[in-house]
Amino acid sequence: MTMRGLRSICAVAVSLCTLLLGACGARNAPVAHVQDSGPPAIRYEDHLAAGGELPKGAVPTNPNANDPAKVQAGGVLFTAMNCDGCHGGGGSGWVGPSLADGRWRYGGADAEIFASIYYGRPKGMPAFGGQLGTDGVWTLVSYLKSLNPKEDVATESWVATH
Amino acid sequence: MSWRRALAATMLAAAASHPLLAQGAAAGEWTMPGKDYGSTRFSPLAQINAQNAARLHPIWTFSTGVLGGHEGQPLVVGDTMYVVTPWPNVLYAFDLKEEGYPLRWKYRPPASPNALGVACCDSINRGATFADGRIVYNLLDGHTVAVDAASGRQLWSTRVADMAEGETTTMAPLVTKDRVIVGAAGGEFGIYGWVKGLDLKSGQILWTAHNLGPDADMLVRPETFHPPYDSGPDAGRRSWAGDSWKIGGGPVWGSVSYDPQLDLIYYGTGNPSPYNSEQRLGDNKWTSSVLARRPEDGALVWAYQFTPHDNWDFDATGTMVLADLVIEGKPVKALVHFDKNGFAYTLDRKTGRVLVAAAFANANWATGIDLTSGRPVTDPGKQTGASKGNVKGICPSLEGGVSPASPPAYSPRTHLFYTAINNLCMDYAASRAARVKGTPFIGANTPYSPGAGGYLGGFIAWDASTGRKVWENKEAYPTWSGTLATSGDVVFYGTLDGWFKSVDAKTGKMLSKFKVGSGVVGNPIAFLAPDGKQYIAIYAGIGGDWSLLSGDVRADDPADVRAPADFLKDIARHTSQGGMVWIFGL
Repeated sequence: MTMRGLRSICAVAVSLCTLLLGACGARNAPVAHVQDSGPPAIRYEDHLAAGGELPKGAVPTNPNANDPAKVQAGGVLFTAMNCDGCHGGGGSGWVGPSLADGRWRYGGADAEIFASIYYGRPKGMPAFGGQLGTDGVWTLVSYLKSLNPKEDVATESWVATH
Repeated sequence: MSWRRALAATMLAAAASHPLLAQGAAAGEWTMPGKDYGSTRFSPLAQINAQNAARLHPIWTFSTGVLGGHEGQPLVVGDTMYVVTPWPNVLYAFDLKEEGYPLRWKYRPPASPNALGVACCDSINRGATFADGRIVYNLLDGHTVAVDAASGRQLWSTRVADMAEGETTTMAPLVTKDRVIVGAAGGEFGIYGWVKGLDLKSGQILWTAHNLGPDADMLVRPETFHPPYDSGPDAGRRSWAGDSWKIGGGPVWGSVSYDPQLDLIYYGTGNPSPYNSEQRLGDNKWTSSVLARRPEDGALVWAYQFTPHDNWDFDATGTMVLADLVIEGKPVKALVHFDKNGFAYTLDRKTGRVLVAAAFANANWATGIDLTSGRPVTDPGKQTGASKGNVKGICPSLEGGVSPASPPAYSPRTHLFYTAINNLCMDYAASRAARVKGTPFIGANTPYSPGAGGYLGGFIAWDASTGRKVWENKEAYPTWSGTLATSGDVVFYGTLDGWFKSVDAKTGKMLSKFKVGSGVVGNPIAFLAPDGKQYIAIYAGIGGDWSLLSGDVRADDPADVRAPADFLKDIARHTSQGGMVWIFGL
């Protein structure tokens, strides 16, 4: 099933495979980057640390930065990997939380979003690291970061209708 | 005790005219999801009637402590009321003998939180059933459990569904003799849909019957399978392009009905996967269908497909109500079903043949149902698929002319069926989807818009012998609650903005209403408490699809803020999440 699913993605989104240079083609290659640099630290923006001392851990940086091609490829991947099936089109929220409201359960820093996608999270977020590898996950991170609104999504617009 | 005599007389009258009603529990109890094997949701209690219903008021409430959508209904067995919450699927047992109905016990199963990411549409549970001293229900994470009704001790827990395949378990099981019948949700995950028969005593899985695929997997045997309309051998495989049946959906997430005389169970199957129908050309049997099986060994006896090649997500998981009707002067053992596709069907439940079919809601994907072939007469302009682009203005929407989460009721006194309805249409833009096991497998964007008439929901009385609407109450919002009919000729339902209403069964005139604090997506029940009085119980707790569609109705997660829903912008003015059990009395 898994392999057929991935072949379908490649068939549909040939350009995606080209862009990702690995999410499809290197499906069977070992996932190297993360192991090389140690696990990404799960550092929440407003975390608490016992004794005020943060746990040690590598904090990998997004190799894509804001590369527009990666942002675009991440948008394609967001649909191709069915992320929109839970998080809604454009990450606006569905059965999974909104990813476009500038608020994050597990932190909104690049490495934190990477950890959420790569390893999964409790309450139903599957681990996608096995399917996407490091490059694929960073590509999604680039896309999601591009969604961040400048301010919180307004929730009071029904007031304006009265 | 005059109420007892009146009750006995009512029961006898009901039993004489409706053998299905005589099955199972005493009149004052509610021991299975749909009240009786026929899922009529008709209570023979009559203390509350059209003359006094205006006096109904809340007499007791209880917070479940859970915020997910509170679908389903409580059970009342003897002097105990049982309530199952949405995930984490806590089971509460309340002592109805004591003032304030304190808990006898509380059972907290180890329901995996991973299920929250595999359930398509909120963390719902559609209720428990009682049999042989056990409360049997499904956990969202794919387990069926049996709990001792007296002590709350777990008797068995069986893993029936596989979350790694996209399966979760939201449906209400039914027990027939010593079989527990269960099915799995996952039509949005490309599951290979099934029902299973478990041994009530041990929880052991005795048979598994797929709803699609080769005859061997479907438990189709030539000597026992007699579909009303010819389908040929291996229809569940040959009506699919290539191997598409292997990930073709056909979930079971509603409820099951049973006719003890015919010894047949009836249940509806959900949509074929994915929503992009061009990845699964063919009729896609037996998705969006009703299947009749032998509970003993699961053998398929007949099947009928409401929506062949469903390309609108018109699941047929809505309740199959069994009632004995008179059609054109002849008595008929009927099965009545209000489908998501907007048509109400009256079938002969012995054969599966369609006797009456008519639109009960605004429907334009088909102009009618051809009774000779059993097939819908479809509008070619409303067919969807990735190559067709954005197909606009399809009615009803994929929320359904009625939701399968909103079971109807049948009153043998008025001979009418009562159901909530929705008045929504949709655009349908399909796109190619890839299946990644355990993730959604959908391939369509389907924004909704209000149907004609300026209202989004309603509540109707329906004559299933003729296929005619008898009366209709319009509602401002999509109407998502189940229905209760009673011998007092009072019918009950709730609204998405949180009103619990009673109406006159004959006219639809509103008799009482009360704002219960959260939108109603559950099903009312009637019961007789140990004090000899009739009460009505209902859950409040908006959710299910409305946790996805209502915009920002939650307040418990600061990391999830959404814009108001675009087709019901002000619903969050009227309701927010929160599960409560309400009991009303005179």
